[in-house]
Amino acid sequence: MPSVGAQIKRGSAELAVLSLLAKHPLHGYEIAKQIEAQTGGVLRFDMASLYPMLYRLERKSWVKAEWQTLANGRRRRCYRLTASGRKQIAPLRAQWRAFFQALQNVTGFQNA
Amino acid sequence: MHDWEQIVRKNLRVLKTCTPEFAEKITEELASHLADSYEEHRRAGLPPATAFRRTVTQINRRSRISLTLQILQEALMTGFTRKVALPGLLTFALAMVIALALEMADVQPKTLVILGDGLPFSLPLAWLCLLPICGAAGALVSHRSGGSPLQRIAACLFPSAIMAAVLLVIFVAGFVISRFVPDSGWNWALAVPGLALWLTGQSILTAIPLLLGAAAVEKTRRIPARAI
Repeated sequence: MPSVGAQIKRGSAELAVLSLLAKHPLHGYEIAKQIEAQTGGVLRFDMASLYPMLYRLERKSWVKAEWQTLANGRRRRCYRLTASGRKQIAPLRAQWRAFFQALQNVTGFQNA
Repeated sequence: MHDWEQIVRKNLRVLKTCTPEFAEKITEELASHLADSYEEHRRAGLPPATAFRRTVTQINRRSRISLTLQILQEALMTGFTRKVALPGLLTFALAMVIALALEMADVQPKTLVILGDGLPFSLPLAWLCLLPICGAAGALVSHRSGGSPLQRIAACLFPSAIMAAVLLVIFVAGFVISRFVPDSGWNWALAVPGLALWLTGQSILTAIPLLLGAAAVEKTRRIPARAI
């Protein structure tokens, strides 16, 4: 069984972002909005948590960012998943599955 | 029309310590986020003043502290090997070569006994006087590699950081050994002041001349760092 990393909170955010980017490239604001919408507002990213994480993922070469210029001249950095980032999704999902399984075993919350 | 970039710059003064490219990237991206957020609030029917207020709360005090810390970390870690570690090791090596040369020239450090129990404390004055050269060299090499002001400071302080790390390791090792070796002579009353004294002498005192050297480089080379 894969072990669950200590940085569980960080890991959950990374998995959410990587899973989202696996579908299509997005810019930072869209990532925050889509995660909020898809989780019914349970997961929310503010600027202080989202961008440092995106830069960290970029430094690890899991995502790659490119500037896009909008019609009004404003620029946005659009993030897309790299091959290396794609490889991280399965192990992260396995960790989370193991974590929830372990929690279920202890709390029985699934049947509560 | 709000100047979101100006708002970001005003709230994140730490960006001044980053390279211009890095600061520009973060400023533009965060400003774009704020602009998107403002537009969404307006589309939702909020009046401009309320939309603006709600938007700027995203960069409130708590976010600012968190962002500042993260940016500092990111600014330090981007190109860490080239811009911090290698120039830092050069600074350390140069400091050690100078120390060795002084030793060979029989320039003895001034030894002061400060603690009552006779804990020796050496003050290598000649070495400390030459340390600005090392700090300047480290900052200059970091600068040539495109290091930001923060990275240049980190590079020049490398010897102090290494010494602090070594002292802490010795302290922890001494404590651990004392747990397993009976009558090891471990004495908290001596160990803690000793650590404080040696940290002051070996790390803080060395940091001052190193920073002076780096400051001299900053003053004489007021040119933007090379593009990353």
